[in-house]
Amino acid sequence: MIVCVAVVGHQNNPLYIQSFTEADDALKLHHIVHCSLDVVDERVNNPKKSSPTLNETFLGLLYPTENYKVYGYLTNTKVKLILVTTDLDVRDADVRNFFRKFHAAYVDAVSNPFHVPGKKITSRTFSERVSTVVKSFGLSSGS
Amino acid sequence: MEDYPEELRTPPVALVSLVGCPELHASITTHLHSEQPPINALALPDFSKISIFAKPSKDASVPPPPVAGILKKDWLLKHRTRVPAVVAALFNSDHVSGDPAQWLQVCTDLENLKGVLRGRNVKLVVVVVAPSNSKDDLSEDRMIALRKRAELDSKYLIIFVPSESELQQSLIRLGNTFSELANSYYKEEGRRIKARLERKNFHSAELNIRCCFKAAVYAEFCRDWVEALRLYEDAYHAVREMVATSTRLPPIQRLIEIKSVAEQLHFKISTLLLHGGKLAEAIAWFRQHYASYRKLVGAPEVIFLHWQWLSRQFLVFAELLETSSITAQHVSTLVSEAHDRATQWEFHSAYYFQLAAHYLKEKSSSLELALSMSETSGEIDGNADSVIAASYVGQFAKLLEIGDAFIMQSLSDEDYSRYALAEGKRLQDSYEIIALLKKSFEAYNNDKASRMAAYCGFQMAREYFTVDEYSNAKEVFENVASLYRQEGWVTLLWNVLGYLRDCSKKTALVKDFIEYSLEMAALPVSTNVAGQRDCGPAGPASLAQREIIHNEVFSVIRGESESASTEENSSLKVTADNPLYLEIDLVSPLRAVLLASVAFHEQVVKPGAETVITLSLLSQLPLNVEIDQLEIQFNQSECNFVIVNAQRSHLAAISCLQPGRRVETAPTLELRTNKWLRLTYDVKPEQSGKLECIYVTARWGQHFTICCRAESPASMSDLPLWKFEDIMQTIPMKDPGLAFSGQKAVQVEEPDPQVDLKLDSSGPALVGESFIVPVIITSKGHSVHSGELKINLVDTRGGGLLSPREAESFSSDNLHVELVGISGRECEDLANSENIQKIQPSFGLISVPFLDEGESWSCKLEIRWNRPKPIMLYVSLGYFPQSPELSSQRAHVHKSLQIEGKTAVVMSHRFMLPFRREPLLLSKTKPASDSDQIPSLPLNETSMLVVSAKNCTEVPLRLLSMSMEAVDASTCDVKTKSKNPEEHVLLVAGEEFKQVFAVTPEVNLPKLNMGIVCLRWRRDHGDGERSTSCSTTSAVLTKHSLPDVNVEQPPLIVSLDCPPHAILGNPFTYSIKITNRTQFLQEVKYSLADSQSFVLSGPHNDTTFILPKSEYILSYKLVPLASGFQQLPKITLTSIRYSAGFQPSVAASTVFVFPSEPHFGLKDIGEMRMESVAAE
Repeated sequence: MIVCVAVVGHQNNPLYIQSFTEADDALKLHHIVHCSLDVVDERVNNPKKSSPTLNETFLGLLYPTENYKVYGYLTNTKVKLILVTTDLDVRDADVRNFFRKFHAAYVDAVSNPFHVPGKKITSRTFSERVSTVVKSFGLSSGS
Repeated sequence: MEDYPEELRTPPVALVSLVGCPELHASITTHLHSEQPPINALALPDFSKISIFAKPSKDASVPPPPVAGILKKDWLLKHRTRVPAVVAALFNSDHVSGDPAQWLQVCTDLENLKGVLRGRNVKLVVVVVAPSNSKDDLSEDRMIALRKRAELDSKYLIIFVPSESELQQSLIRLGNTFSELANSYYKEEGRRIKARLERKNFHSAELNIRCCFKAAVYAEFCRDWVEALRLYEDAYHAVREMVATSTRLPPIQRLIEIKSVAEQLHFKISTLLLHGGKLAEAIAWFRQHYASYRKLVGAPEVIFLHWQWLSRQFLVFAELLETSSITAQHVSTLVSEAHDRATQWEFHSAYYFQLAAHYLKEKSSSLELALSMSETSGEIDGNADSVIAASYVGQFAKLLEIGDAFIMQSLSDEDYSRYALAEGKRLQDSYEIIALLKKSFEAYNNDKASRMAAYCGFQMAREYFTVDEYSNAKEVFENVASLYRQEGWVTLLWNVLGYLRDCSKKTALVKDFIEYSLEMAALPVSTNVAGQRDCGPAGPASLAQREIIHNEVFSVIRGESESASTEENSSLKVTADNPLYLEIDLVSPLRAVLLASVAFHEQVVKPGAETVITLSLLSQLPLNVEIDQLEIQFNQSECNFVIVNAQRSHLAAISCLQPGRRVETAPTLELRTNKWLRLTYDVKPEQSGKLECIYVTARWGQHFTICCRAESPASMSDLPLWKFEDIMQTIPMKDPGLAFSGQKAVQVEEPDPQVDLKLDSSGPALVGESFIVPVIITSKGHSVHSGELKINLVDTRGGGLLSPREAESFSSDNLHVELVGISGRECEDLANSENIQKIQPSFGLISVPFLDEGESWSCKLEIRWNRPKPIMLYVSLGYFPQSPELSSQRAHVHKSLQIEGKTAVVMSHRFMLPFRREPLLLSKTKPASDSDQIPSLPLNETSMLVVSAKNCTEVPLRLLSMSMEAVDASTCDVKTKSKNPEEHVLLVAGEEFKQVFAVTPEVNLPKLNMGIVCLRWRRDHGDGERSTSCSTTSAVLTKHSLPDVNVEQPPLIVSLDCPPHAILGNPFTYSIKITNRTQFLQEVKYSLADSQSFVLSGPHNDTTFILPKSEYILSYKLVPLASGFQQLPKITLTSIRYSAGFQPSVAASTVFVFPSEPHFGLKDIGEMRMESVAAE
């Protein structure tokens, strides 16, 4: 199950962060998302030379915490998309698929002429769309 | 890791035992320690102690008791310290070959030893200590007998010679034998155990595990790491399988035992993997270990034991990672290999420390819960301390004292739980958690993972907070908060600030408390994002909470006592004894609380004139705030003013004002959330320079002040956290131009000068003259106090007024243009040293006397040009409009003038010989290069020098005189041919003046200095020569130096002689006179060409000789046949001696023929003609 998704701006400031848990551990998820930025930084600053996927946006598993797995995705504008899940066995393809949809939703949200780039995303449509994508992630991995 | 017994932590070391001859033990032990691999030695001084090797007697008939545990706790220790692989019996050679009684003793000892060792497989070595290696000391028979008795191979009967020379060799021999035997012992033991394993004849899993473990340990003894690892892994897997099957112990204790064994096995495996450099495998193994035991929580009442166990796993693995020698660059390559399995943080010990701390935290919280539950049921009793660790790993037993004997009794789960709780209560988990987090924090910081470090720091500080160490907590929290502030993680920042606020409240730091409260109240938190759990003392981040904090802090600020929280806030008060002053600068997090933007409406303002200033204040506090009083401070303190809130003017805040301060009253000073409060006032700067608004100070009540640094709207940055918020953007000024380009500083100009400065000049200046520039100062509105006139001469093309070559020798001669002097109407005043007067070649400074309004003063600048050069003349006047005691502003007037410098006259000269007289100058016959040709003059002959002076300016000049100054009058005789004009010659522009001098050189010199021609002139001012300026324009002397001439003695002189004119048909004589000035006979060839115009008589051509110092005359009679200018017959002379020819010039051989006798004064005309021709 996805417990948290986040959009982080290129100054590492949160643009959108939403948790999907009943338990009130939003603060902990904030911490986890924030910590994962260290890994993103590390990946971006020391890209693997041998890797064929030099321009890959999907960063893969960032780090496992005691209960969660954190995945990352970096857009060409240095906006980071972060996913925190409790599933221990996640297929890479599912995560990639999720990020593609999430990225598309983000692009649509910031393409709104009334959105000021660099500000937090407050669009309700975006929220709803992300929730749908999050729900569908659960379904596809379950099936 | 330190909790583990040492034998588990270190790799096994073989053990041998030495019996007898205690004096040698020290040296042997030391040697064995230094062996590679080292060997430990168990030294027994004599044979009476050998019973410790004995195996506990076991009755074979009794069936083995049911297995009571998995691993015996002391088994490993026994093999490390008590059961040797080899026993060496040391006998003295005296005893071996001594009398029968001694020999008997040796045999008995040996027998006893053999008896003790019988049950075990321990190897035996007999060492005979002999003083020397010679055969005669030891009897052959006895040695053989000894060997037979010991049932030994001959190579295990060693002769040890402790003498100096042999000792080392003996030791090496001994060491080799020991290590060989020890190895074979452990190998055999291992093989024995493995054989049992293969037979699989166990009735329980416990035995299987035990055998695996033992075999692995033996393999380790043999340094067979791969085998050891495989066996440990087998054992580990078997343990994991036991979880579901074992029923031997009550469930809680069963799990505890299994976990303890698994922990030991896991530790061994990890150590082996890491020491083998297999980092990725070790981490994969750890993940597997973690995954398989994570869920084995066990009974809920002792769940804390599980967390403690997990925490220990992480801690131990972190410590292992830390001590393993694998370096960072290894890690990066490993990461890429094992990318799909492990992420990079799993290669850092920090990650494991962090999780260890996390589980320890989990443990302490569940322990607390368990304790509170047991307390409520009152279950804790005092007899828990009789529980001790049992003889099997991970087992506990109750120690009962019955009489003098102690009996171990197995525990029930309830007893064990009670024991565990009591044990847990004794430990201080918080400090351990802090230590772990600190380690993790430092490790992350070293890896430049600041956010991970911040998270660890946050947890650490929270732990400090729970144990009431507020100062430590505050320090760490502040550190963490700065990162969150920087990156705009508002929710996290809110939480940290909440802790900080509570810390400062508990430590009664009023200023910090208010600062944190204000910052929190002004955080961009609007919706309830974070959940309710774990939100710290700040409460959930929400608008409502912000408002609560806002009200709370303002009640403290205003000193309003609130009954509800008096006991809490009693120490937090802003009073007269404890006033509070906050300063907000450009980087302060409190900028969101109060932001002051100040803009002048103008950029430049005159002193004394009013200008408008707009002051805009912005606050992001959630509720409206009323400011009591505002003070605006400038760098010119007399401009400061105070704005008082009209609704609160009754408050005594105004009392702390300085007298004489300007006070404005505003109807209201209420700050609304995210709305600019704009105030516009007039300011009247008095001093010129920069007027800048520095601070805006807001006051609430009497004792609380916020001093906010003023910012220019043009260079104002966004509020750091609010800039990410999607809120309405507002600009500080109504006028958008001012909002984007307004400045908090204004330039105050100097007062306008009301004095005229006039510079006159009459056209271009001439080189050599003293050029006069009159300066006139006229006061038109100001009186001039202590005026100063500065004069500067500057080259228009830049650079100095010196020629570069002469720049080093600074003297007035080298200056192209110089300021010679300044003469004023009050010359005598200027001469006084009281007044400032300073004149340098290109700079002058003079003081101007006091001038009242309407008065004027003038002076003249005298400038001399030495070379033609255009210059700029800058004149500036500085003065005080009022008398300087009033210290008013100095006013300045500047004027400049470009003046062209020109050369007035150009002089040239020409040498000529007398008419129809040609000396033979030998130097002229020789071809010479043109450049160094200097004119030649014949000695003692009169030559003509024509000097001309041309006026190059547009100004008429008047020539006063032209004269020649010879260097030495005796060398050369100079006469002025044309007499000086009595009336000074007026030379208009472009006109030329000529003067003729007769020069007769009297000394034969190759280089004769002819001297200088001096021309005196002055500017012509038309007929009004009596004008004032004329008196000062004295005559200018222009010098023209003549070149050196070559004076030589001509050997021959040819002069033509004919009348000045002829009359048609009248004969006349044309004679050619050749003078020989030499001492030699000169041969001269001559020829005369016929002319159509004349009939002539005389010799045509011939060669003749001229005697020394005499002359020869060729004489012709000519009759002109045509009138007008006629060419005389052409004569050609050739001197044979000098091979020089001569032909008279056309001018010299022309004569005018009148048609008839002219009827006028012939004599006069002839003279005139002669002169005019000469002058040409």
